Amino acid sequence: MVTYDSGANQPKSPPAGFLSRHLFTTDHKTIGLQYLWLALFSVFLGMAISLLMRIHLVWPVARLPFLSALGSTPESFATLPLLHGSLMVFLVLTAAPQAGFGNYFLPLQIGAREMAFPTLNLFSFWVTVVSLIGMTAAFLVAPQSGITLWIVSVSVFCAASLFSALNFTVTTIDLRAQGMTLPRLPLTVWAWLINAILSLLIFSILLAACLCLLSDRFFGTHFFSAVNFLASQPANIAADALPALWQRLFWFFAQAEVYVAMLPCFGIISHLIATFSRKPVWKERLVVLALCGVGLVGFCVWGQHMFSSGMNPSSPLVFSLLAASLGLPATILIISWFGTLWDARIQLNTSMLFALGFISLFLAGGLSGIFLARHDLASSAVSEEFVAGHFHLVMGVAATFAILGALFFWFPKLFGRRLNEPLGKIHFWLTFAGVYCVFMPMHWLGLISHANIRSDSGLTAIAALIGPVRSFITFAILITVFAQGLFLFNFLWSLFRGKKIEECNPWRATTLEWSVSSPPPADDFGVREPVVYRGAYEFGVPGVAEDFVPQHLAPGEVVRTCSLE
Amino acid sequence: MPGTTAVRDVELIIEDSRGGGGGGQPPAGGNGGDDGDDGKRRRNGSPSSRRFSTAITIGVISILMFFMALASAFLVLRHTSEVWVTVHLPRILWFNTLVLVGSSFTLERARSRLALRDMLGFRRLWFAGTLMGFVFVGGQLVAWRQLVAQGVYIASNQASSFFYIFTGAHAVHLLGGVAALLFVALRNFEKSQISISTAAEITSYYWHFMDGLWVFLFVLLFLGA
Repeated sequence: MVTYDSGANQPKSPPAGFLSRHLFTTDHKTIGLQYLWLALFSVFLGMAISLLMRIHLVWPVARLPFLSALGSTPESFATLPLLHGSLMVFLVLTAAPQAGFGNYFLPLQIGAREMAFPTLNLFSFWVTVVSLIGMTAAFLVAPQSGITLWIVSVSVFCAASLFSALNFTVTTIDLRAQGMTLPRLPLTVWAWLINAILSLLIFSILLAACLCLLSDRFFGTHFFSAVNFLASQPANIAADALPALWQRLFWFFAQAEVYVAMLPCFGIISHLIATFSRKPVWKERLVVLALCGVGLVGFCVWGQHMFSSGMNPSSPLVFSLLAASLGLPATILIISWFGTLWDARIQLNTSMLFALGFISLFLAGGLSGIFLARHDLASSAVSEEFVAGHFHLVMGVAATFAILGALFFWFPKLFGRRLNEPLGKIHFWLTFAGVYCVFMPMHWLGLISHANIRSDSGLTAIAALIGPVRSFITFAILITVFAQGLFLFNFLWSLFRGKKIEECNPWRATTLEWSVSSPPPADDFGVREPVVYRGAYEFGVPGVAEDFVPQHLAPGEVVRTCSLE
Repeated sequence: MPGTTAVRDVELIIEDSRGGGGGGQPPAGGNGGDDGDDGKRRRNGSPSSRRFSTAITIGVISILMFFMALASAFLVLRHTSEVWVTVHLPRILWFNTLVLVGSSFTLERARSRLALRDMLGFRRLWFAGTLMGFVFVGGQLVAWRQLVAQGVYIASNQASSFFYIFTGAHAVHLLGGVAALLFVALRNFEKSQISISTAAEITSYYWHFMDGLWVFLFVLLFLGA
């Protein structure tokens, strides 16, 4: 037998000592869990901030213990959305599905014992922690130095993401187990790989932009600030040349960042739907191509945020077409999900509910995206609240649903216990109803603020509606946050008291991580070299006794109902 | 059961799966029998050494994106501003460029000595290449000092900002390369996961990239002025 894991993948014994075992270990599973804990902390902090913003929007004089002091001055209130956004986008949506679940399950799913560069992985994690501390501390110091600290923290986060993405790419390319060919990769791994490549390209751009920005702040250069530049220019020069440069660099990163948050979620959702429909992923190769398409086109649509910035008159059309062409891979993904669900014996557990909720949110949020991709509509008819409603539904909440679905699915693997199902279902339905009640009215508020109103009475009638709608949104947020409290309780309770699982494969799933005990041993696969014999989604194979065939099961070990001739 | 399969059985089963195309499924589904990639990977050597060359290849693309972002900013500002104060590039940059290109050739010659198992010749040439790397960084510092002596600082104008940012960022990346060169020269590779020839190959790739990147930046700054 060929063992080509000579150096990187030797089985290791766990190191002694608390610090080296739990905090500074290079074990991919511990690092993955640490990322998930970091995301859990960040998501609750970010949620508390959004709650504070909405409460102050509706009841400006209300005092909340601890929280109100944060947004007490106009400057600090203005920085609340920044902190909310940076925590949620960087530390939750980027970190949890990719670095959290990816670090834990990518090596397990491809049959590697470690990431390609374990020490670099440990370094990336702690650098991410430093950037989280920096971003949060930026909020507590004086505004000017706070912004500088924030930019430094974002640069640090970029560096951590680059190292992490490098690790993911090399691991997937070089450390796959025997027989784990590219067509046999689970879709989760495909999504993590494509996402890592995309991250490598875009985080370098943001790092370069941050470098110029910091140079402006520290050394007094004028890459983006227009003060000296304008003074030395004739008056007819377009005054927005410099800010437009920043916008270009920023949106080059930020538009693709949306797909960085979404790509692993697409992979996770396809994986969950196939497992709980007990059917192979419908058109699996087309789905892989669609994931590549999302990565590729997502990289080219930054201009859609700059329709009103005075760009070349023909470029909005190009960006508009590109942005609209993202609909093609998105449609392929959605059709594949429905194709898998079609005529299936669906197991409606909490994990699957979250996967179905993801599809619903992705569709609803994607529809309003069509408005924003139209350059003739986006610049005039759509306001900030419409955009906020759109991207919270399609990116923030949908991705959170994918993360929650993945957590309910992999919790038995992570901790050897199950999350409580009835409590999980209550949590799902409250959250599902709650987020629609929060973000759908936001679309309406955005549209109404640009409505063409011809009479005073019409204006009064609409103005009278806006207040109650905002209050409604705030009430809906309170209910949604309460539901997350239920989830936190479920999570912590199940961690210690949840129902223990007896078998290593409770969901009867096919991928390699379910071939080892739960939680997996320190060296993942023990002395055995994992070998893969088939694709990742062999459900309902005719002539086989069970309705699934795991990837690691040798052809001779598959129990058949009748002998093959 | 997992964990109990003996190695010999696995061998047999691998033979089986190669022949049958995987898992009793007909290969028409596209999931089975796709082992061509596998065989190719194994021919290239163990992943423990290959992961470093993969990492360098991918890392180089990422670094390239970083500099392309800066270069695109340079081009955009160069074209949008009507009053572009030019920076007279110090002449020592020509010398620096020659030294850097020379260091790449020296490293290649060192690697050819290594292929002939001439360790002494390899080490001499490798150290010479590393030294040329230090000379380049020193030369860049001299160029900075010459500009400062002329009263051209980083904040003086946009061209000078770009000059300092380009050379600074390149020097930081190049110093990483110098550290790698020293590492290859000084480390004992007998107990290492990778052989000295692989390490030399990977480091020299990175060095050549830094070399080419500098030539690109120099041409950009030269034409931009």
